[in-house]
Amino acid sequence: MGHVPTSWYLILAAALFCIGVVGVLLRRNALVAFMGIELMLNAANLTFVAFARARGDLAGHVSAFFVIAVAAAEASVGLAIVIALYRARGTVNIDEIKTMRH
Amino acid sequence: MDNFFQMFPTVPFDPTVTGQGLWMIIAYPLAGALLCGLLGKTLGRANTHLIALGSVGTSFVLSVLAYWATCDRRAVVATPIGLVPWSVHGDFGTWFAAGSFKVNFGLSVDHLSGIMLLVITGVGFLIHMYSTEYMSDDKGYWRFFSYLNLFVAAMLTLVLADSLPLLFVGWEGVGLCSYLLIGFWYEDKEKAYAGRKAFITNRIGDFGFVVAAILMVLLTDAITQSPVQSFGREPSSAVFASRYQAGIDALGALSFPVIAETARTVATLEEQTIASGPLSGHSFQGVVTVTLLLFMLGAAGKSAQIPLYVWLPDAMAGPTPVSALIHAATMVTSGVYLFCRISALLVLSPTAMATIALIGAVTALWAALIAFSQVGIKKILAYSTVSQLGFMFLGIGTGAFWAAFLHLVTHAFFKACLFLGAGSVMHGNAGEEDITKLGAVRKEMPLTWATFLVATFAITGIVPLSGFFSKDAILHAAHSNVLTGYPMVLSLAWVIGTVAAFGTAFYMMRLYFLTFEGKRSPAAKVAHAHESGPAITVPLVILAALAVLAVVQGIPFLHTPEGLQTVFQAFLRPVFSDAAAISDHVRSVHWGEENGVPWGTYLFAWCIALAGGAFAFIMYKRNRRLPRALEPFRRASFAKFYIDEGVDILILRPLRGLSMALYRVVDAVLIDGFAVRGTAWVTARAGAALRYFQTGDAQTYAAVMVLALVAGILWALMKVAS
Repeated sequence: MGHVPTSWYLILAAALFCIGVVGVLLRRNALVAFMGIELMLNAANLTFVAFARARGDLAGHVSAFFVIAVAAAEASVGLAIVIALYRARGTVNIDEIKTMRH
Repeated sequence: MDNFFQMFPTVPFDPTVTGQGLWMIIAYPLAGALLCGLLGKTLGRANTHLIALGSVGTSFVLSVLAYWATCDRRAVVATPIGLVPWSVHGDFGTWFAAGSFKVNFGLSVDHLSGIMLLVITGVGFLIHMYSTEYMSDDKGYWRFFSYLNLFVAAMLTLVLADSLPLLFVGWEGVGLCSYLLIGFWYEDKEKAYAGRKAFITNRIGDFGFVVAAILMVLLTDAITQSPVQSFGREPSSAVFASRYQAGIDALGALSFPVIAETARTVATLEEQTIASGPLSGHSFQGVVTVTLLLFMLGAAGKSAQIPLYVWLPDAMAGPTPVSALIHAATMVTSGVYLFCRISALLVLSPTAMATIALIGAVTALWAALIAFSQVGIKKILAYSTVSQLGFMFLGIGTGAFWAAFLHLVTHAFFKACLFLGAGSVMHGNAGEEDITKLGAVRKEMPLTWATFLVATFAITGIVPLSGFFSKDAILHAAHSNVLTGYPMVLSLAWVIGTVAAFGTAFYMMRLYFLTFEGKRSPAAKVAHAHESGPAITVPLVILAALAVLAVVQGIPFLHTPEGLQTVFQAFLRPVFSDAAAISDHVRSVHWGEENGVPWGTYLFAWCIALAGGAFAFIMYKRNRRLPRALEPFRRASFAKFYIDEGVDILILRPLRGLSMALYRVVDAVLIDGFAVRGTAWVTARAGAALRYFQTGDAQTYAAVMVLALVAGILWALMKVAS
């Protein structure tokens, strides 16, 4: 089993994070933007675990588990908001839901 | 001396207990003012009169008790500084304290304030009674009686106070009531303006009073912080210093016993300078002189002396009883009372005494000259009041405190009588004030005529009446006393005062002849005058009788160890004993022949008075024309020597211009333009610019956050790299 350098993991995580950011910023569909957020969280997780492996202790793993728990909660709340928005406005297009203006 | 006081009856109770009830003398009129003011309209006319008269009457009875108590030899007040004989005192706790400075709520009565109490409540009661008829058809009668009661309460506070701060409360209180009553008919713009003028002129004087009081505190501090050895006093310096400190701790630095002790101390300090504190480098004497001159500024405001006399003639805009009570008998004399109170301090400074004597004499003459040609009956009496107050200040300045105070008392009687008589004349002649439009009132108003004539003779100084003796005692003192360092000042003041006395006789007889004698003027408002009712005539008769009877106080017939003295002089001796001892110690006044009967000056003064009266008789009874050469003088006198116009041009207009400039530049441009509207403008512009960032689009916000994050990362990388 070949040894994979930590920097590869970090480059992968950075790439995943950037894909997530671009998804959040550019996609109009609320669900897809949501998936971008999940992607960013998982990029963070990957970073944690990569460093944990490099250091050889469990602190990074613990943090990753916390992030997974928070992500689960966030996903349930976020999807609930999306459903509520859909019911109220009949659309999940972010351009049409500018409620923060007032 | 002691033989004399045994003449007085001993009170059938312990006189010191009177002190505990002194607050009631103030409380009754104060309660009356509250009741009349708050409930007067619902209570109705008769009840308001009952409350107002009842409260002042009760106060009068209590004052008589307090006065009687001070005539008892057991009435001695023990203070840490020493015993104060012939007085009662009530201490009602600390009023306020700040650091080592404290003021007690203490009231005390001695012979000086006892007489004042009787004058205030006695004359006050008569004038209240008079007002019940005079103000009978005024719709604001309840307001009037409320103010009048409040005035009596404030004036009593002024007189009863045993410290300067409490005296100042009364001082401001009477000023307020004066303002309220001058502008009593506030719907008339002129009268409201006169009220404001009085109030603002008095503020100038009060400023002097407050600064003087602060200087007194600093002076007391300077003395307590001086090395103890510097007091060459008996029994010993250390005993004295601890006694002085105990007095300050118990009574406060501004209480009158401590002020007297301060004066005694300064008298022993000669030419020493103050070593430390805010006054360091100045001599004790110099500080005292400045303090006294500032007190004189305060007294000049309240007692209408040059340069602050202008408000009093205008104060006649108020109802006539007010003119009689406030602007003749009581309030305007409070400056004289103040100087009698601090007489121990005054004799330390011949400079201050000379200034006061000259101000008094010049005021007496100046006001008499203006009174020569006025036509308003109240205007003449107002200028006469200013003039008579000038005589009192002349007496203060010469060191003849008892004479000044005697003149205060006799003046209260005859001037109140004159004003009430003038009010009665106006009441019976449809409110006509112009004496050239009156005439021949004598037969129609016999009681008013008789009392007015008596009071006129009293103020003129015709021999058997009180005014002669009080005024002459002042002029005699001016003639015989000499102030150290100012040898000619009192002689000069005597000459001016004598001319003013001549003027007094002239303008008073002119007033009398034009009003009561001669033919009825064709311009009169009503064909026949009618005599006023008993509520008006009874006070007139009582006051006229008092103006005659007060003569007992003024004739020197009392055999004392010092020689022949007047009753009044002997009676006030305990009050002014400090002043006498201190002036002997520092030799500020060279006392002339004060005792005995000055026949020469009596005769001279009488001739002066008769000459003035005769002059008026020739001119107005015989209708001689004024010499043409004097016409410009008459016109200038009629225009009050253009003082009001001068003040208007020199002070008011520049002030108004400055205010206008400040309003246009500072208020309108800087405050309104920049500060107020500028703030709003900046906020509005900033908001308008920032609203473009408020899109409501979550993705835009997120993009901004990401950009900021990227910028932060770049910055961190550059930090690491460099």
